[in-house]
Amino acid sequence: MINFNYVQASTQKNVTDTLMKDGTAQIIAGGTNLVDLMKRGVAAPQKLIDINNLSLKNIEQQKGFVRIGALALNSVVAENELVVQKFPLLSKALQSGASQQLRNMATVGGNMMQRTRCSYFYDTTMPCNKRNPGTGCGALKGYNRMHAIFGATENCIAVHPSDMCVALAALNASVIISSSRSERKIAFTDFHKLAGTNPEKDNTLQRGEMITAVEIPDANNFAQHSTYLKIRDRSSYAFALISVAAALDMNGGKINNARLAMGGVAHKPWRLTTAENFLKGKAATEENFKQAAALAMKDAKAYRHNNFKLTLAPNSIAEALKIAAAM
Amino acid sequence: MNDNNKDDKTLNHSRRQFFKISTALTAVALTPSYILKAADDNMDDKIAELFEKRDLNIEVNGIVHTLSIEPRVTLLDLLREQLKLTGSKKGCDHGQCGACTVHVNGQRVLSCLSLAIMQDGKKITTIEGLAKGDELHPMQAAFIKHDGFQCGYCTPGQIMSAVACVREGHANNEDEIRSYMAGNICRCGAYPNIVDAITEVKQKGGTI
Amino acid sequence: MGYYFEDGDRVNGKDIVTGKAKYTAEHDIPNLAYGVLVGSTIAKGSIATMDTKSAENAPGVLSVITHLNTPVVPGYDAGGLPIKTPVSGKNLQVFNGPTIYFNGQPIALVVADTYERALFAATLVKAQYNKEAQVTDFLEAGKTVKAIDTAKYKDNIRGEVDGYKNAPVKIEAEYIVPIEVHNPMEMHATIALWDGDDKVTVYEKTQNIKSAQRNVMSAFKLKEENVRLYAPFVGGGFGSALRTWPHCIAALIGAKKTGRPVKLVLGRDQMFNSVGYRPYTLQKIGLGATADGILIGITHEANSITSMYEEFNEGSVNISRSLYNCPNVTTRYKVFPFNVSTPTYMRGPGEATGAFALESALDELAYKLNMDPIELRLKNYAEKDPENGKPYSTKFLKEAYKLGADKIGWAQRNPAVRSMKEGEWLVGFGMSTGVFGAYRNNAKALARIFADGTLLVQSAVSDSGPGTATSMTKIAADGMGIASSKITFQLGDSALPPGPGQGGSSTTASLGSAVHDVCESLKKKLAELAKDAAVFHTETIHNPKPEDFVFENGYILLATDRTKKLSFTEVLKQNNLNQVEVTEESKGSEEMKKYTAFSYNVHFVKVLVHPTTGVVKINRVVAAADAGKIISYKTAESQIIGGAVGGIGMALMEEGVIDDRYGRWVNNNFADYHVPVHTDVPHIEALFVNQPDYILSPTGAKGMGEIALIGFAAAVANAVYHATGKRVRELPITPDKLI
Repeated sequence: MINFNYVQASTQKNVTDTLMKDGTAQIIAGGTNLVDLMKRGVAAPQKLIDINNLSLKNIEQQKGFVRIGALALNSVVAENELVVQKFPLLSKALQSGASQQLRNMATVGGNMMQRTRCSYFYDTTMPCNKRNPGTGCGALKGYNRMHAIFGATENCIAVHPSDMCVALAALNASVIISSSRSERKIAFTDFHKLAGTNPEKDNTLQRGEMITAVEIPDANNFAQHSTYLKIRDRSSYAFALISVAAALDMNGGKINNARLAMGGVAHKPWRLTTAENFLKGKAATEENFKQAAALAMKDAKAYRHNNFKLTLAPNSIAEALKIAAAM
Repeated sequence: MNDNNKDDKTLNHSRRQFFKISTALTAVALTPSYILKAADDNMDDKIAELFEKRDLNIEVNGIVHTLSIEPRVTLLDLLREQLKLTGSKKGCDHGQCGACTVHVNGQRVLSCLSLAIMQDGKKITTIEGLAKGDELHPMQAAFIKHDGFQCGYCTPGQIMSAVACVREGHANNEDEIRSYMAGNICRCGAYPNIVDAITEVKQKGGTI
Repeated sequence: MGYYFEDGDRVNGKDIVTGKAKYTAEHDIPNLAYGVLVGSTIAKGSIATMDTKSAENAPGVLSVITHLNTPVVPGYDAGGLPIKTPVSGKNLQVFNGPTIYFNGQPIALVVADTYERALFAATLVKAQYNKEAQVTDFLEAGKTVKAIDTAKYKDNIRGEVDGYKNAPVKIEAEYIVPIEVHNPMEMHATIALWDGDDKVTVYEKTQNIKSAQRNVMSAFKLKEENVRLYAPFVGGGFGSALRTWPHCIAALIGAKKTGRPVKLVLGRDQMFNSVGYRPYTLQKIGLGATADGILIGITHEANSITSMYEEFNEGSVNISRSLYNCPNVTTRYKVFPFNVSTPTYMRGPGEATGAFALESALDELAYKLNMDPIELRLKNYAEKDPENGKPYSTKFLKEAYKLGADKIGWAQRNPAVRSMKEGEWLVGFGMSTGVFGAYRNNAKALARIFADGTLLVQSAVSDSGPGTATSMTKIAADGMGIASSKITFQLGDSALPPGPGQGGSSTTASLGSAVHDVCESLKKKLAELAKDAAVFHTETIHNPKPEDFVFENGYILLATDRTKKLSFTEVLKQNNLNQVEVTEESKGSEEMKKYTAFSYNVHFVKVLVHPTTGVVKINRVVAAADAGKIISYKTAESQIIGGAVGGIGMALMEEGVIDDRYGRWVNNNFADYHVPVHTDVPHIEALFVNQPDYILSPTGAKGMGEIALIGFAAAVANAVYHATGKRVRELPITPDKLI
């Protein structure tokens, strides 16, 4: 790891000013991903801005939504009373990720900012357009078992590794982004981007901006019937092969509304709107779940080692819906 | 180093480059120019080194240490290499095994992914600080009784994690214990015995 | 027995749970410098040029050592690499020339004053290569890659060649065991301190102290008394620490070059290509039987891999020659060199690979015959060694089958495929047999009793986890008749009497025999010293001989009149001695040559399989072992449990992956190379037949480390088949293979 300059920020403006001024500076909060990337030489910021002294840890009810500060710890959010009560899906997704030690360090903002776990991204001797634009995608014709089946290009077939983000995408959350001059609010699903032609950028954050909060609308009836199903190579402490966030607003056996998102399949949390629309007003039957799952798989494309995802993904969607409906 | 990927800019930083860049930064804006010159000329390592180090006050197992460290030093390496507290183990150095688990202000975290400089003013508890003198912590005693280890290398991390697991209220049944201990890998495979040890400590109750 | 061994707790437990135990990298050495190895980024070719300047100029760097400036290692081949063909037992000679044999091969050692600076400077070392096309695609074995062709790889035929083909019922199938990596939690490490040119102290992670010492001696042409090697605690090994690897020599080179003690710890990524692994092996099995299940023939072929510089082989097909009574057995084993680092023995070497194939195939045959898998095994039970007709020293495999089957309720299951369910989860039961030779090697131990009644026992052995100090303490306690709390078993130091390597499940039988023997000698010596004491000379007792005494609770007693006794302390006092010591070397018995010795373990597994997502949960495990007499029950149970956990990894998740385009590892870390975590492991029940084998050794113990794992993966695969009707023949059994 290169040595770097370390500063503690006392105000938000302090952070965004420094980020604007200094392109080599990076925010550090929990550090669970960034420190690892620095150890491997994948990231080499010359300045780290420690933002842990900022008051961005609160989780509070506001009018029509719950606001979660960017520095709220993953473990705290997972067990927060408001979250458990209103968004059990988010709680479950958080608890499916990493380990308790990591959740005790990792923040909501950091979770959103974590980079892909693609092996070619991590090994600095390998080609990777995300780490080193123009070198090619190592995974495209390499070992790509964990990789994308939706929205990928030959520039990059990496997936976003977060569980929390899949739940937030399903819950119609928004992201509050601040710069020194202004604050903007965007849909969570617009925060992360597809690889496109510039896979080095994971998201739509601009220089000089930082995430300050996530807001989740609470005017929904999804809490009763929701689940996060994560399929992986071992039963815990592993990234998803496929994960599904499923939430149903039910009236007896009928589905008023459905929310579905998938992880482990794309460069961003993958919202399944076609399947959601199909389920609207339908009966909660296995057959309908299977049809919804099949619709969700339109445009899926597999690579050499992840062909199984074309079966595992719809099976997991149907299974998640079944679990959610039965609750 | 870099055969498949010729132009990886991120890796090539000498001290000189570091200081050149540093001149633009506020933290070293006050760095005397002769030091920058010294660094530039690669002349006086000793002086230049001082400016790569930062002060740190950290309490480990009840003892306050006042240190001067490079910001890149992890808490784990600080404990093991500088403070000679080798009870916290390095099993992967990348947050993937849990052997380095310590308590920071009472919460279990991975010391290998924690920068020491960010722990300024915090209280660290390691495995060496768990027993009261000769009297073992109940979790340590339970690990011996249930043979919750073989080679013993992951054990300090398992125990620090287990103590936190009970304190957090995540040890109410075996499945919950397994879930909340999943971040501690044991390659010898002592898992069932570890679960037994934690269950016993939990069932005995009391403050641990 | 066990009277003297209060609770069975590990004797070193307190050091471990308090963090006081010092593993290799943890010894506090003054003026220590840090070494970091730089690996090649190509898999084949040679180094053209090296640029070490920026690394050398980096802060704190003491030296950057490459093949261009390395100090001479006198034990290396003059003229340096290359090695043209793989040579058996030829370790890579680090820095001995520019030739590259595998990706990640050490090309430089950076030594700096702090760990952080060494690590950073290592990233600054650059090499230009003359690159050649590597081959790491193991499917090329037998195609573009030719097998090593020497006499030891010729077909081994008993009875008719491929006799299975003539049987009325037969099955043929191919099985794959991928690369698996030991990955003990403690990463391999060395600390080297030179004292002048011809004397060195080495702290080394090793399962074999004397062999590590010999390796250092021969590399640097040093005398035995001038190489002191320590390994008081070893954080796991599973075979990876049975031999001495290039990084150890590199640390010695670094310390020599810089004149400072050097600590070198491998990174977890380097653990995948520096200290061996279980080799990828493709196997073909042919089984032939009569309609009522009598085996007529077994053919077992295995194609395995090795490196370009060293030939490695293991007994993958041997299990098919000896486990079942079968007249016609053909085995073929071939090894193919690739541009990879050398594999090595990993827990259950050879047999673990072979048992997956054979014990899966037996299950397939049982289904084809519509016969219970245990019944099929009992029908072909070998009452004597089918290879040579020798009787077994002991064999209680039948008893183990029954013990385990009763415990898991084998008879209560519905054997029909896909017939059992819990909720929507499919339920499957599977079993398999694990077998491994029971060995006893030479070992020396010293026992010294002090005037205060305490006993010190010593041997240069190391303990990577089984609990050797604990079981040796138990043997000494029972042998001497004193409480275990009065005994110290000292290990981990090359200056102690030569102990065995901790491998091949032989430590307890080997060293235990030496400890047993040394206690017998010490008792004889005590009896000699005691026999003239006044208490043993009365009107009725005259001139007792050493064999007239018994030893209990720290006393020497007259067997015929136990009121006549003398404490060990008193014996020494009366003879004006502070201590009495003896050293004994134990070797295998002549008697044993007439027998064959094996240890056995029968695995029973219950799995739950999700029908649409392919998730497999190991729901229950019962292991029933014939491992001879159980010396230390608690640690024995742990070892069986640990082997089952290793088996869960092998069965469900472990697979090393190399990108053949670069010959480079892609999952060399604990996030991508999965080993079991807490949630993967249910309660595991370890049962023992617990019958002593006194022919093999006076301790009665056979072996346990290997059989704990051998065969386990087949039990899982068989259970998955029972649950789903899907036969997975390529490990690991991940969800994608079941949907």
